Amino acid sequence: MNSQIKKGILDLCVLALLEKGDSYGYDLAGSLARKVEVADGTVYPILRKLASEGVVSTYLQESQNGPPRKYYHLTDAGRNKLNSDRDEWIKFCGEVNGILERETGGQADEQE
Amino acid sequence: MNKSEYLNKLTNELGHMPYGDVKDIIQSMEEHFDEGVSEGRSEEEIAASLGDPAELAAEFKDGAKFKQVMKRRKLSDNFKGPDGRSRIFVILFNVFLGVWCWVILLAAIFAAFMCLAGDAAVIGLIVAGLITGVLTEFLVPFIFLILTLVCVAVFLIALLILGIKYYAKGLKGYIRWNKNVWNYGLGED
Repeated sequence: MNSQIKKGILDLCVLALLEKGDSYGYDLAGSLARKVEVADGTVYPILRKLASEGVVSTYLQESQNGPPRKYYHLTDAGRNKLNSDRDEWIKFCGEVNGILERETGGQADEQE
Repeated sequence: MNKSEYLNKLTNELGHMPYGDVKDIIQSMEEHFDEGVSEGRSEEEIAASLGDPAELAAEFKDGAKFKQVMKRRKLSDNFKGPDGRSRIFVILFNVFLGVWCWVILLAAIFAAFMCLAGDAAVIGLIVAGLITGVLTEFLVPFIFLILTLVCVAVFLIALLILGIKYYAKGLKGYIRWNKNVWNYGLGED
């Protein structure tokens, strides 16, 4: 898929992953890369950007093995952004699908 | 590519981001490697799944552009890390050596200019003396003296023209070099 289209929407995906609960970089990288075809590293620039925008906050928490993990937390501003962006995205997807489906539907008719 | 190779490459690609940001990013990526290794994955495998370090660095830089607009950098950030070292170098180099070299050269040009002025004044005085008839003896030696002084004047004028030209050229280059070192370091990478 076009990386420009992906780039814009991945911010929203990361926010959605954090809605389920606070998480750390490695875990988020895995969750995102498992569901969307992106490199594991992709999540880190996004997290940095979201943190600088204030929609995500960070804190350190001890882990059982090894050094403390940097956890990411969805702030209230992040929650608001997620909700409004999600609605917008779903509406937009519906519209786009409406166009695309009609196209393929038309082709299917021709083939019959 | 193993962990340290990947992190080195990423650091290089991040280039001239503020030192604190680079440190922070590398720390996150280090954490990622450590988590992966503790799961039993190899460093090479983790590096491969992280994606091209150049691409990753570009994504970090894109995000940072936004941040720079939002938050102005602190003055002290200018003097931290490798960039900071080259900036401190620029300042010290100029205070102890650079600026003085240019001042001395400027003084030399000024001295040459004063010599020329003095030379012209002596020629003027002798010519005036000859014309007004104040000087009646040693006419031939005086004429030779004038010829010699004119030669000196021509020499000084040529010297000044060349001197000023190359001074300006050199100073321009020197300022450009300073700016480069200030912004991009001494070129060790």
